Amino acid sequence: MNNGPLVFLAAFFALSASWFGFVLTPQIQIGRQQQETNIVNTAEMYPQLRPGIAHQGMEVYRANNCAACHSQQVGQTGVVVDLVLTETGTNLTAVDAVLKKMDAGANVAGLVSGLPKTILSGATMDAADTLAKAFKKAGAKAETRLVSVGPDMARGWGLRRTVAADYLYDYPVMLGSLRVGPDLANIGLRSPDANTHLNHLYAPRSVVSGSAMPSYRFLFETRKISGTPSPDALQLPKEFTPAAGFEIVPKPEARQLVAYLLSLHSDTPLYEAPMSAPVAPKPIAVAK
Amino acid sequence: MSQPSQHTSSPAAESPSQGAAVPIWLIVLTVMLLYVGALYFDDHGGWFHPQVYGPYNSFAELEPYQPKSDGSSFAQGRAVYGKTCVACHQASGLGTPGQFPPLCASEWVNEAEPGRVIRAVLNGLQGPITVKGHDFNNVMVPWNSLSDEDIAAVITFVRQNKEWGNKASAVTPAQVQAVRPKIKAHPAAFTADELLKISPAD
Repeated sequence: MNNGPLVFLAAFFALSASWFGFVLTPQIQIGRQQQETNIVNTAEMYPQLRPGIAHQGMEVYRANNCAACHSQQVGQTGVVVDLVLTETGTNLTAVDAVLKKMDAGANVAGLVSGLPKTILSGATMDAADTLAKAFKKAGAKAETRLVSVGPDMARGWGLRRTVAADYLYDYPVMLGSLRVGPDLANIGLRSPDANTHLNHLYAPRSVVSGSAMPSYRFLFETRKISGTPSPDALQLPKEFTPAAGFEIVPKPEARQLVAYLLSLHSDTPLYEAPMSAPVAPKPIAVAK
Repeated sequence: MSQPSQHTSSPAAESPSQGAAVPIWLIVLTVMLLYVGALYFDDHGGWFHPQVYGPYNSFAELEPYQPKSDGSSFAQGRAVYGKTCVACHQASGLGTPGQFPPLCASEWVNEAEPGRVIRAVLNGLQGPITVKGHDFNNVMVPWNSLSDEDIAAVITFVRQNKEWGNKASAVTPAQVQAVRPKIKAHPAAFTADELLKISPAD
């Protein structure tokens, strides 16, 4: 080997370049990321430390390797802007002129009763801004709303993409790489009912028919009913109920896991992931 | 052995490299690919800014999507008040009797035009002042380091706080911006007498 030192230097250079690029630089950039305070218009901090029970649930999630089948990251391919007219003001003629100019086939008379009304949807920021200014000039009030778009958004898995700040209190970060089951980054938002989660862990097919998820029955206790039935016992559909005289009661692990699942929601607008707060929390129906 | 071993006798048996040149088209192609790659990186890379995530391609592209402040945002004003004003004027807006004047139903706060309040926030106040019939003599620090938006928001929050019995007009960032050059010549904190000489509409 005539060029030993050269080969060594080349290998050293290649390895150190990738170390600088993939390890050191990200560490400098986001390694010491703090709770964010620059959430515009609120004094809230994000993210919040999980309550103890949810923190223990994270260990249960990890122990059962939920991340093998569930990811916790939603992506976004783009962002579009909706313009919502909230108030027409008093100068209806001027507002009508703006509407006519944009040729949306709407007029003020039809709008006054049905506010707030989406005037423009799927537009660019510039277009929405221009129109909002025109409305403001006419004495009306219009709000721009950001709408994240992408396959994950279409599935209803989130309101915005997830970013590094969302995982600040996760250790280890369980992003997951396989989606055998649905993404869980916003499961606390999508399915906010603890009892549904408990039923789903005990017997997944009792909540989602055709689910591929294994049953986690060892997180529950089948108990003989003595005296009054436990108020914590699961209310299951007929074909999943235990033998007469028995009841299914969740163990602490099941409660912790559910508390962790309910703590999963990345729905706070951040500087790096702007979004409009949802108009009203819309629970996503769970198939029975 | 009639033939000598090739290993020892003939070093030329292994044909040496001809030193074939890399074809010029390959070099040109590589340079072009690098050029296109660099252009794409410049467009979509966000220069590794830690706050730039897809689908945004640069920090500048991210900026227009931030919620805009129109200076009338009550929540933003409450946040600024909580950080800057609350230490002296208290969360209740009642101030500290004998030390710091109240903002609740104060005649200084509720003036029809906000000129004096904006000046007081920008440059601070010092010396004797009478608020709601009580005399105060203390120092208010200047807050000209805050942005126009923050100052407009906090003054609007105080002036329109119905809980505190205030119902004056909102203040826009443009109004704050307009006052800044007018008080360039007066870098020190205002006194009550000086403020009273200024027209509130100015």
